[in-house]
Amino acid sequence: MTMLGTKRLTSFLRTLTMTSVLALAAVLPTGSAWAQVAGGELVVVQGSNPPSLDAMATSSGASRNINLNVYETLYGFDENVVPMPILAEGVNISEDGLTYVFPLRQGVKFHNGDEMKATDVKASLERYLKVGATPNLEPIEKIEVTGDYEVTLTMKRVTPTFLEAFSNPRSPAVIIPEEDINAEAGKTSLVGTGPYKITEYVPDSHVTLEKFADYTQDTRYAGPDGFGGKKTAYFDKVTFRIMPEPGAQVAALEAGEVDILDQIPVPAARRLANDANIKLYENLQWAFGTLILNANEPPTDNVKFREAVQVALNMEEIVGIASEGLFAANGGWAYPGTPYDVGDVGAADYYNKHDAEKAKALLAEAGYNNEPFTIITDNTIPFHGRAAVVIAEQLKAVGINVVINQVDFPTVLNLRMQDTGWNGWTLTMGIEPYLGPVAIVSTLTGKRPHFVKHDPELEALYQELITGATPEARKATFEKVQKRLYEYFGIIKLGDTGQMQASRANIEGFKTFRIPRVYDIWRAN
Amino acid sequence: MLLFIARRLLSAIPVLFVVSLMTFVIMWLVPGDVSAEIGGTDATPEQIQQIREQLGIDRPLLERAVNWYGNLLRGDLGHSYLLNRSVVDAVLERLPVTLSLAGLSLVLATIMGTLLGILAAVRHNSWVDQGSMVAALIGLSIPDFWFGLVLIILFGVTLGWLPTGGFVPITEDVLGWVRCMTLPALTLAFTQMGVIARMTRSSMLDVLDQDFVRTARAKGMRARTVIFKHALRNALVPIVTVVGVTAGVLLSGAVVIESVFSLPGVGRLIVGSIQRRDFPVIQGGLLVTASIFVFVNIVVDMLYGWLDPRVRDER
Repeated sequence: MTMLGTKRLTSFLRTLTMTSVLALAAVLPTGSAWAQVAGGELVVVQGSNPPSLDAMATSSGASRNINLNVYETLYGFDENVVPMPILAEGVNISEDGLTYVFPLRQGVKFHNGDEMKATDVKASLERYLKVGATPNLEPIEKIEVTGDYEVTLTMKRVTPTFLEAFSNPRSPAVIIPEEDINAEAGKTSLVGTGPYKITEYVPDSHVTLEKFADYTQDTRYAGPDGFGGKKTAYFDKVTFRIMPEPGAQVAALEAGEVDILDQIPVPAARRLANDANIKLYENLQWAFGTLILNANEPPTDNVKFREAVQVALNMEEIVGIASEGLFAANGGWAYPGTPYDVGDVGAADYYNKHDAEKAKALLAEAGYNNEPFTIITDNTIPFHGRAAVVIAEQLKAVGINVVINQVDFPTVLNLRMQDTGWNGWTLTMGIEPYLGPVAIVSTLTGKRPHFVKHDPELEALYQELITGATPEARKATFEKVQKRLYEYFGIIKLGDTGQMQASRANIEGFKTFRIPRVYDIWRAN
Repeated sequence: MLLFIARRLLSAIPVLFVVSLMTFVIMWLVPGDVSAEIGGTDATPEQIQQIREQLGIDRPLLERAVNWYGNLLRGDLGHSYLLNRSVVDAVLERLPVTLSLAGLSLVLATIMGTLLGILAAVRHNSWVDQGSMVAALIGLSIPDFWFGLVLIILFGVTLGWLPTGGFVPITEDVLGWVRCMTLPALTLAFTQMGVIARMTRSSMLDVLDQDFVRTARAKGMRARTVIFKHALRNALVPIVTVVGVTAGVLLSGAVVIESVFSLPGVGRLIVGSIQRRDFPVIQGGLLVTASIFVFVNIVVDMLYGWLDPRVRDER
């Protein structure tokens, strides 16, 4: 055969192959319905160590990423952040709102082979009251075993938002074996009921999970949903590698040594956008960028000064630079399109105005006399430091004497606990906006509001919010909250910042979420 | 010799005491503690205080110091606040990584640095001398994290010959260990060899001018024998000093390289503990690090005696 003939044949075969592929693609079911492949190892990368694998005792995101693939709760949030039963069959709430009866799913196995029963649930919730990292279960007065598979909670007071708090994944109220009831924080046997079990933890190196062969799927659902649903573990082994250096993380993904990056720097994602071996996942509703003002320390004790800061700022510049371009300029205190989104109520006249003249007029009205405006920030979370620098430059332009005090994160957390000595603090709120209005407002009220000095009006609105009987009533209250935040100016919303994740192209089923769910994903052949 | 070692070991005690005391005071002065890491951004002052009480970090500095030294005398370095293990275990499980990295890079840096230095001294004022010293200077000047990332991109991503990071213990897989240690060891060796090369060159230049070298050459001895047997041996004392200091630095943890190559070594342990204010690990880790420095210095002193009989006689 001549060279020309060979080329013609090759060309014909190529055409035939392509036609066949297209025909097959038209006939076969689309997407993942037929393609799941079991087995193998998945390697997920995150930047920092989990401070603890005792899920209820830590509120760290690095821990949550791993723990919520290992442990489960009675109730958790579904994909739309609505409470759904996971280990419970459901809940019966008494008419007076003071008794919650949780029938449990039967036949659910712990990683140690024992069956989960009501005594384990009682022990877990009692332990949470002792070592839990949030006060979410505080309204509970009594926990009783009312059957082998039934637990009854009696409340101290009516708390309409209890089920939301109970489903909160921040420091989840996970169910662990009764034997761990007296374990100190961080010293449990690491046994849960989830689709994966922990087999090894080497700090600064990796956490290894193994598929739990006896995992009891929740067959009430068709597939995974939020933190619950029907979960299927396809990979035999999952390794969470701890890699602090973003450049090395990206290199490892490009080399095919790891499968998923929990977070990829935006510039690197842009570079890899056309790489056929890499998939990118964008989650714009990841965190709120904020600037908190100390209402107890001059000059930010003056509401007119705080208002001047608010109107002086160009949010697109600040969040654009701080987030490396993955952001939305949103002045609302809920993500657009989410149940509590009240639009730009209160924000319309103040957000992203960068009105230098108005700011100067307000400074004059406040009697500002070039006192230092000290911003505390850290270098641990790059957004914080970068936002502080841009804010400082914008405020200097309107005549504010800005001083940046950049230290490490523990020092910032120590400084912000002081009533004086600082005026501004850059902070990203990650989990709070996801959890909704109560979680956000709780940080601005109570024993230690972020802006130090209590605002009685906001305190009253918080009480109205947590006792609102229906979601509609709570949304109406939240509208008032947002309006109030744009009158008090104790915390300034900079914008919504996104999270970019990446995986190898052959990883199927992965969806961006609050945690990297390692179940219901698989490697395509 | 035994008396010498015993004397040196005894003199190390006040050094280690001062180091640990300074660590105590510095960490006491640094604002913030581990309660912030555990409590998170939304913790109330009451929650922070509760954590501090549980961990005993609310107690006076003197009381904590007395407790710590008392435990130290019983061989107990305490328990990490965050790692759920004793400080001794936390440090010991990192040592194989640090020893691997330090050992390999020290061998590579010493071989490359010494050869480069000898070459420069023997071809003094030639292009070979200039070229060698430029190479040494480049090694000294380039940031190690940048060089490490370049090697990762070249050998890990583009060529795919070596892994981009991670650690495989030599006891599990020898080839895996060699593969994962090659790039970090090369990076560290390249950045450390400059000092050794420069010291070797200047030390060799001093020796090569001396009468006994001229005599050796005059009696027709081979150039290689003159350089390696007579000149180098006499030039070794300052080189050993530099290698000793380098060994101390490497053994106490090369934090940046450990981070770039995701190696769970002692350096990352200590720096991570400082960032999280895990006092027992900082205190214990620095004590171990200081002990390694002291030990390396003793070994270097012993080597002086072996290399130069005059030093041995003085003792």
